[in-house]
Amino acid sequence: MHISDGILSAPVLVTGFVGTGIVAAATLRNMDMEEVPKIAVITSVFFVASLIHVPVGPASVHLILNGLVGVVLGLRAFPAIMLGIILQAILFGHGGVSVIGVNTLMLGGGALVAYGVWQQRHRFNMAKKEVVFGALAGATGTISSGMILALALVTTGEAFFATAGYALAMHIPIMIVEGVVVGACAGFLKRVKPEALAGERP
Amino acid sequence: MPLDIDRYAHVSSPIQRWDPRLKIGALGLLILAIALIKTLPVAVIALILASLLVVISGLPLGFIGHGLSFVTIFLVPFFIIMPMTYPGEVGLHFLGLPFAWEGLRLAALIFVKAIAIVLCSFVCFGTSRFDISMIALQHLKCPKVIVQMLLFTYRYTFVFLEEMRRMQTSMRARGFVPRTDGYTLRTYGNFVGTLLVRSFERTERVFKAMLSKGYQGEFHTLVVFSADATDFIKAVFTLALMMALLALDFGGYFHQAIQAWY
Repeated sequence: MHISDGILSAPVLVTGFVGTGIVAAATLRNMDMEEVPKIAVITSVFFVASLIHVPVGPASVHLILNGLVGVVLGLRAFPAIMLGIILQAILFGHGGVSVIGVNTLMLGGGALVAYGVWQQRHRFNMAKKEVVFGALAGATGTISSGMILALALVTTGEAFFATAGYALAMHIPIMIVEGVVVGACAGFLKRVKPEALAGERP
Repeated sequence: MPLDIDRYAHVSSPIQRWDPRLKIGALGLLILAIALIKTLPVAVIALILASLLVVISGLPLGFIGHGLSFVTIFLVPFFIIMPMTYPGEVGLHFLGLPFAWEGLRLAALIFVKAIAIVLCSFVCFGTSRFDISMIALQHLKCPKVIVQMLLFTYRYTFVFLEEMRRMQTSMRARGFVPRTDGYTLRTYGNFVGTLLVRSFERTERVFKAMLSKGYQGEFHTLVVFSADATDFIKAVFTLALMMALLALDFGGYFHQAIQAWY
């Protein structure tokens, strides 16, 4: 879930930009020429997929899928999400230019956590472990993003403590939705094109 | 389709004639300055300035209205949550729930700032063709790798939008109705998986096509920028406005007025 302009305080905004710069530089190291189109094409898939609306009771929620970016791209998930956030801020006209740093740290950080969880599957030997770990990755990616968002709100000011609580609570149903979708997708990819998954050992 | 921010980039206006590098640099700084404002009167001044910029830029209001409506809907809950949950002693109660004027003022501040920033973003990126804006970012020292990937992603977004539409049609033709159940979620998981598989195969073809056209890691462009005195004057003027806003906000010129308000 992105945050809009105008809410966060100056130190939080600056930390967002500086943090994003550092992590992006770290995760873009040793980039192969071949990875440029790969990261871009997958980012556009996620950009487009985030326009899918899933009905949740009377309302509908749009998929974030940052956990899936982590599962598919590994460490490069962070710059991929950064691209997505920048494009959203520029193209959609919903604002978000001042919070590009914070949003990237939030969703990109969640993607990296998801990747970390996803890699743990190598320790286990079970049937359908991609579905299970994909679901775990999707869920932990979402809740990590929620926690970073709550942290940003809380460090902005005491007035936002309650908002941070509500925002975090709202991530719980999203966590379930994302978990199921990412798990199903990981299982699908394992069957159809396993080399698409990050950290697959042949 | 909400993705063509540069639909009206051909409209002739002083903003559109502004050198994109200076425009994006100056307006970007202005946006960041607005984000830092802490007092409501200064925020309102910033909003008036942003509206003037929109008028000068010649962008149609209906076009901008869509983005504004989205931001408004997102921020409306704040007008309810902030007054109710503002920490500290509460003097007023409304329908049995605590109501703090400070909270309402904070929500208004957020709202005004957000609208001002969205208006500036429209002026900044809606008045140049998208690829020209991206090359301007590169001139502003944005890493080439990132600009390249941004351009690629932009280009392929439309391709995948088409593909997604086709797949959604075929899903509907097979009787798929989205519901709140696990089956729907798993289906969407497979849907995204299929898009990803197609995208992987596409990347290989794209990369080979690029190689065969001589790609060696550099994007060569025919876009040439030339800045003249008017462009610099516009930039300096924008920076002066930015400094004025920050000075007013920091200097607390409106504190007396605010104290008198409540």
